[in-house]
Amino acid sequence: MKRRDFLKGLAATSGGVALSGAVGTLSKARARKGGQEDFGEVKSVKVHCISETSWFDNATLGKDIKQAGGINTNQYEVAYTEENLGGYAALVEVEALDGTVKKYLLDSGWSNDWMDYVFEKDGIDRMLQNKEIDTLFISHDHIDHFFGIESTLKHQPDIKMYFPGTAMKKSFELLKGADFSATPGCPKNSVPHKGELIVTNTDKLYKIQDGMALKFFDAPATLQVRGENVLYFKIKDKGYVTVTGCCHPGIMTLLNHARRNFKDGNRNYGCYGGLHIAVFENWDPKFDDIIRGVKSFNMQRIGCNHCTGWIWAEKAEKAGLPIIHGTDKHESYKKVGTLAHSKTSNVYLGNGDSVTF
Amino acid sequence: MSSSPKDEFWLEERQLEPRWALAASGLVNLGVWIAAVFIVWWIVFSNEGIFKLYTPLLGFSLVIWTLLIILWQAELFDFWPFSRRFLQTAHPLAKGAVFTAITIAVYLVLIFGIVFFIIGKLGITYFNWNSLMEFGELGQDMNSVRENTSWAMLCLSIPFFLVSVWFMRGVGKDLFYELKEPKFGLANWLFVVVIAIPLYAVFFHPHLGSMFYPQQIYTAVPPWWKAIAHTNSAEYTLGILFCSVIGVFYTLHLWDGWPLNLVRRQPWRFIYFAVGSLVIGYLILRIQLWIFDWLWHEAYVGGQNKASFGWRYSHTVTMANFVLVIALVQNLFFGAFYEKMNVILRSIIKTVVAIVLGLGFAWGYYSWGPLLLGVTEGVSHPSENASAFLIMTINILMIQDLFMDRWPGYRLKK
Repeated sequence: MKRRDFLKGLAATSGGVALSGAVGTLSKARARKGGQEDFGEVKSVKVHCISETSWFDNATLGKDIKQAGGINTNQYEVAYTEENLGGYAALVEVEALDGTVKKYLLDSGWSNDWMDYVFEKDGIDRMLQNKEIDTLFISHDHIDHFFGIESTLKHQPDIKMYFPGTAMKKSFELLKGADFSATPGCPKNSVPHKGELIVTNTDKLYKIQDGMALKFFDAPATLQVRGENVLYFKIKDKGYVTVTGCCHPGIMTLLNHARRNFKDGNRNYGCYGGLHIAVFENWDPKFDDIIRGVKSFNMQRIGCNHCTGWIWAEKAEKAGLPIIHGTDKHESYKKVGTLAHSKTSNVYLGNGDSVTF
Repeated sequence: MSSSPKDEFWLEERQLEPRWALAASGLVNLGVWIAAVFIVWWIVFSNEGIFKLYTPLLGFSLVIWTLLIILWQAELFDFWPFSRRFLQTAHPLAKGAVFTAITIAVYLVLIFGIVFFIIGKLGITYFNWNSLMEFGELGQDMNSVRENTSWAMLCLSIPFFLVSVWFMRGVGKDLFYELKEPKFGLANWLFVVVIAIPLYAVFFHPHLGSMFYPQQIYTAVPPWWKAIAHTNSAEYTLGILFCSVIGVFYTLHLWDGWPLNLVRRQPWRFIYFAVGSLVIGYLILRIQLWIFDWLWHEAYVGGQNKASFGWRYSHTVTMANFVLVIALVQNLFFGAFYEKMNVILRSIIKTVVAIVLGLGFAWGYYSWGPLLLGVTEGVSHPSENASAFLIMTINILMIQDLFMDRWPGYRLKK
């Protein structure tokens, strides 16, 4: 075999080899009819952003986690820079079809100093003391959603609570009054929880009231955390709305869960919360896929913040998704995230902003 | 003294025999391999270990390149510059130490020296995480830059691996046959480079250019496979090409080279081998995607974790690797069991054993991995990629087989 013959043959078939790239997946999204679960309807839902700034500087948190060994390290073993810590919490006000309004708290943030400050600013402390808040939902036991549990319990230790069944052992201990604060930025809780505790799992849909349900998803997250509780609402004449802490299962998972399982599940009206996409303002081509996927559901109102990633929200809006803009209220808080200072597009619902579905 | 390719390569020349009874030799080797796997994993890779290189992509990119370098040494360079005498007489532990050290040295020079430090600093931003951090701006952060650079290294390795396999097995000594080592190895290796770099540019660079905000369309076209793959991610092309590499190893270790050995005359042998490997790779990917659809419902555009098209493409590689590890262990440690069987029968039995035990291995990994290896719980965890572990185990298998004559259970025939 002469080398020249070999090369000629090789060149002649290079086009054929290149065709291999055109062999695509045969998968097609098999559209299904909506499921049968029917948990009723509500008139409206108002979500108030108590705080979405879980930390104030991405680089500082990133450095803390990296020094501890990376994003797979146990969250209770990372030494965090304490002045960087904030927290995530939202007040959810649900108006039933008869006009009665119930209040719920989603998550309890991270730094007790910060959570005490934002709770006082929005009157959450008084609502808890007066037992105006019906239930606390802990979406998941990540640092920024759960480490500040003392800030809630010190005002209402017997509050009814939904808690993810996959939470870490230390997170259950924290509920009972453990102290892990020897490690900087790690929590303590001097007020053990005394109220009803509903530990959620994937087996069932937890109906909270007519038109409102909680679904637990066993989804992976970082820092050895798993699972997230998600709130679903069915708004009369509009469709389904999801309210999330971080949305670790993925917004498309939530929309598809509704599509598969809920009555009229193809009608998705909106969402609020962290969508866990470009968490540290990083980008991956798969985030473009999420924009494409969400567009296919024709949502009417998307309220996002926290771990969504500012750049995802901006890019999604440019692609035509109905991103709800926030205001400049967050600028009046005693601390403002470094990214918020550098951005002006207000594609986030920031601290102090509200949205009604 | 270097060998001529007209002569037999060391791997063709050497003859191995079990040191004890076949079962005992195989089991001892299995035990040594398992012990080595745990030791290396816990020292170098595990998040609970010392160096914590399982990030996971940093570890993945490292083991895929070292595996390729191991194969280059054995199958392209015929262990140059070491003499036959050294290969015949040196203790397997000494040979293992020397060639493993060379592997690490080549990795440091080629990947960290040339790709990371020179190209990443002076040419292409994404090959160096410090450059990414400095120039990447939006779209990059300190937690993602190391993974992004590692992903780029991993992507670069795939066409190199595929084309290397084409040359090592689909060309063999048919090209540059008159050259002695190291010229023979170098000539073939340069040919690999010439083909692999354009393949990388076509199949992976569009993904890398889309890792930034805004998308770097002036230097990389948007992923052209979006419409057919339902994702912008190059996990699609990675899935097909990586499964093609794995498919070649299936043919070698399960089916005695069939069907890729049917054509003998060049250039048809090479063309048939290359196209055939892609067809086998696509089938491995496609069949698994059907199984995933059955297990987890259909994937959807923008889905995350198990519902992500990209993750599923990538997971076909992972599952194929579970089977491959078993296929290699079976063939290298216990292959003599099958020698007297009819070739079709033994191919069927070996394939069934590899698939069944491979699935059992996967079940064991995902059930006990968090406890035994310190990996993160969950099949589709974003911080988890079992292929890193699996390729590391293949590295150790190859060191034991190619460098150490399958010591301690086997030895060179006198």
